[in-house]
Amino acid sequence: MSTATDRPLTPIRKGLISEPIDSPEAFRLLGSKCGACGELSIGTNAVCLNCGGSDLSSVRLSPEGILWTFTIVRHAPPGDYRGPKPFVPFGLGLIELPDGVRIMAPLDGDIETFRIGARMRLNLNVLDADSPAPLAAFSFSMIG
Amino acid sequence: MSDVVILGVGIHPFGRFDKSAEEIGADAAQQALDDAGVKWSDIDSAYLSRMYLPATSGARILRRLGGTDIPIVDVEAACASGGAALRQALLAIRSGESEMVLVLGCEKMPRGFMDPSMIYAPWQVQMGMSLNPSYWSMRARRHMYDHGTTEEQIALVAHKNHRNSVSNPNAMYRKEFTLEQIMNSPLVCDPIRLLEICAPNDGAAAVVVTTAERARKIGGRPVRIAACVHSIARYSADFRCPADSMSATIDNPGPTEVTAKKAYERAGMGPGDIDCFEVQDTDAFCEIEIYEDIGLCPRGEGGRFAAEGHTQITGLHPVNMSGGLISKGEPVGASHLGQVVEVVAQLRGTAGPRQVADAKTGMAHVLGAGGNCAVTILERVQVHA
Ligand SMILES: [Zn+2]
Repeated sequence: MSTATDRPLTPIRKGLISEPIDSPEAFRLLGSKCGACGELSIGTNAVCLNCGGSDLSSVRLSPEGILWTFTIVRHAPPGDYRGPKPFVPFGLGLIELPDGVRIMAPLDGDIETFRIGARMRLNLNVLDADSPAPLAAFSFSMIG
Repeated sequence: MSDVVILGVGIHPFGRFDKSAEEIGADAAQQALDDAGVKWSDIDSAYLSRMYLPATSGARILRRLGGTDIPIVDVEAACASGGAALRQALLAIRSGESEMVLVLGCEKMPRGFMDPSMIYAPWQVQMGMSLNPSYWSMRARRHMYDHGTTEEQIALVAHKNHRNSVSNPNAMYRKEFTLEQIMNSPLVCDPIRLLEICAPNDGAAAVVVTTAERARKIGGRPVRIAACVHSIARYSADFRCPADSMSATIDNPGPTEVTAKKAYERAGMGPGDIDCFEVQDTDAFCEIEIYEDIGLCPRGEGGRFAAEGHTQITGLHPVNMSGGLISKGEPVGASHLGQVVEVVAQLRGTAGPRQVADAKTGMAHVLGAGGNCAVTILERVQVHA
């Protein structure tokens, strides 16, 4: 996890992160809840991916959840990966939030310690911290 | 509805070659024509299954067989491209618009992990969520947690497939590994290891499809297409999509289960009626889950089912007699048609050391990005004396 930068942050995906995006304490992800079927998707979406309904309302997602599954990424991901250079193996997991959605996210912390069922907390993760336009991304870490 | 058959098959080995896509594609296509006993000029329409080759590759490749003005269409549905293209041939023939169709699958791919920008959003790539095996591995990890599936059971699937490939001249590796070698090979994404995943490579496979009536006039060894179904994953039903989030409340059946069910219905068969299977072993765990999805064993028991040997060539339900994608490699556009070539060989009884005794029916299954899944069921045509 990295949060140190004094430059303004750009959200890594439009409509995904609630304002203010540069506060590690108030950092939250946004979701879209369907008024017709109740399903929740991450980000700000115009149409429900389940039923196709367009009665969506924006919600702030819970910052805590449970690790549903995970892996360890042991090779640098291909393409425009903005993580540490040189590459450092990291956890990747699905975190189940009490809101009824599982979110794919990088995991902070010792790669030997992750376990299914662990309590997890959302973090602000700044990518390209040294660049003129650092990105506000997210990750999760184990609580305790 | 009249029967549609595969009359001829051809394959260029899967591997890495200092040859162009045009060369390997035209080679497989010509073999299929020769095997069918027809000429290029007998073909009414043609489809190319491909994911990574550029626009109009079908026309560029097939032009090598001679000048033509027939429609040649490139088809793409990720790893299920071959099934989608074969389905187009089926539809063209059933509509009466075409009577003799060539379906070619061809791919020439760069080494290493696939280009993520083709299937992932930029932010997913930037955050490091663009490594295909990481999705398969998370699925495996959860299956181990829910059902007690073990790393050894996963390795046993890779062991079987590598061993089967030794006698397949069209496979890339053709090398038997010990269980220890597999379980000590480097982790790619825990718990999946290097000798348990498939690699992108080059390859081509082709089939000539026609009506049963026309095949009867020509002769040869036709195989009936009992079903050819393509579908994509329902809402939140497969997190290799690649999805950014999954529902924690809706548990839709996965694309393999849905597609196989449709194919069984169309074919009028069940899993117990199929004598041999070629399935998408993108990784060894994936094959275990497919056993469950296509109904070979109850949910959660795929690992034990593999360990008990039921899917060996000599088992009750042989799977990946060819060696699977783990040993053949996965030239995406060619992979399903490569499976079809293997199943046709099994039904003709020409699979040599890989032959499943008296195989009369077989299934080919692919699954990939976007939850694209295709299942083809083939049946030996009864020859009436
Ligand atoms: Zn909805």
